[in-house]
Amino acid sequence: MSLAAPLTSVRPDFLTRVTPAARLAAGMTWLIAAIVTLDPIVPIRLVIAAAVALVLWSGLPLRTVPARLAPLGFAIVSLTVFSILLSGANADRSLAAVAAFGPVRITAPAISAGLAIGLRVIVIGLTTLLVFGPSDPTRMADSLVQQWHIPDRFAYGTLGALRVAPFMADDWTLISASRRLRGIQARGVAGRIRDAGDRLVVMLVAAIRRAERLALAMDARGFDSGIKRSHFRELRVGWRDWMTVAVAAAVAVAAVALPR
Amino acid sequence: MSAFAGTRGAAESARWRTVDIVVVAVLAVAFGVVFWAWSAYVWVWLKPLGEPWEYVISGMWLMPAVVAPLIVRKPGAALFAELVAAVVSVLLGSQWGLDTLLSGFVQGAGAELVFGFVMYRNFGVIVALIAGAGAGTGEALHDIPVYFPTYAANLQVGIAGLEILSGAAIAGVGGWLLVRSLRRTGALQAFPQGQ
Repeated sequence: MSLAAPLTSVRPDFLTRVTPAARLAAGMTWLIAAIVTLDPIVPIRLVIAAAVALVLWSGLPLRTVPARLAPLGFAIVSLTVFSILLSGANADRSLAAVAAFGPVRITAPAISAGLAIGLRVIVIGLTTLLVFGPSDPTRMADSLVQQWHIPDRFAYGTLGALRVAPFMADDWTLISASRRLRGIQARGVAGRIRDAGDRLVVMLVAAIRRAERLALAMDARGFDSGIKRSHFRELRVGWRDWMTVAVAAAVAVAAVALPR
Repeated sequence: MSAFAGTRGAAESARWRTVDIVVVAVLAVAFGVVFWAWSAYVWVWLKPLGEPWEYVISGMWLMPAVVAPLIVRKPGAALFAELVAAVVSVLLGSQWGLDTLLSGFVQGAGAELVFGFVMYRNFGVIVALIAGAGAGTGEALHDIPVYFPTYAANLQVGIAGLEILSGAAIAGVGGWLLVRSLRRTGALQAFPQGQ
């Protein structure tokens, strides 16, 4: 289950018409707002804002959202619990303990900051969904090249590399099968670790060879011609993009600055 | 092979060929997949070790920042590789999402500074080790304020120290050994030092 892979069933909506670079810039303002403060009210405000955006403007089918956020559960719970238990504030004897188990004390500032950190992870998860959910990696690359002028050979070279990922999984299965066929069996923990390392090297060799063939094929089609590239899909920055960035930034500032 | 077998008289041309770009990107994609498996199958078993000991294996996340520069020997390789690996983690559904892009950037920058400091001329095991530690330093500078700001100071120091040591050992020395094995297979013949 992937948090960020685009949904095939995304329906056109406001955020799907915003260029991916603008969504990324907008998302970054929320990420920064969520990590600059330890007051839980800030991430609570951002979670509400993200939920509103998700429901009203993202075009994402809402029933798939809980499953996509499920991998976050473990991270949220463990970070919150550890942040509260291991907080430096607990050692401060001038603070009253809210709860105490033997030598372990828990203080109110520790709980408040721990909740802020757990909520911070939820903000990051929802914002990621809003940034990457409404369109695919190709559109993101198009947008970063056209709007942010990142070097096109790097952007499209990376897109080419992404297409190699499914072959790597096949290679891994094939390597395992051929090792079994040759009677190579890992025994014990150390043996298994060494075996995993050996397989990793073989998989990387296969990946590098594939990359070299891909690069040759790309060069054969003039990828490195040095001629200025035109764009197949032109993405224009419009009022939607400016509005998305402006509103997101305003929400981020308000979430941090508004009094409780 | 001596420790400084990777030393060269002068840096290779700084221009990236298509094969440099695609090989680094594919390696970063491969590591993005490995990271996912590492989080899902290795990291969770080390959780019971408790804070900060689980961070002894954090160096794995820094591998691309050392391995990519050792292979292509171009300025920017550490940064590019960590960013692509971060993007792949996001696409595969890493729970850290957008924040992976920030941490990938600072980790790559940490290693990049070390390779830049030796003018992209030395790619021996000592430089690899320091670059791994540099990436680990970047990781600590990101993780402590973002995820562990409330932790007691001694725990913060423990996490930062283990991240740096693990970066030096796993990403630095481990990455150098990995590139050496790759070179021995003959897979790196497209690169000057692989012949």
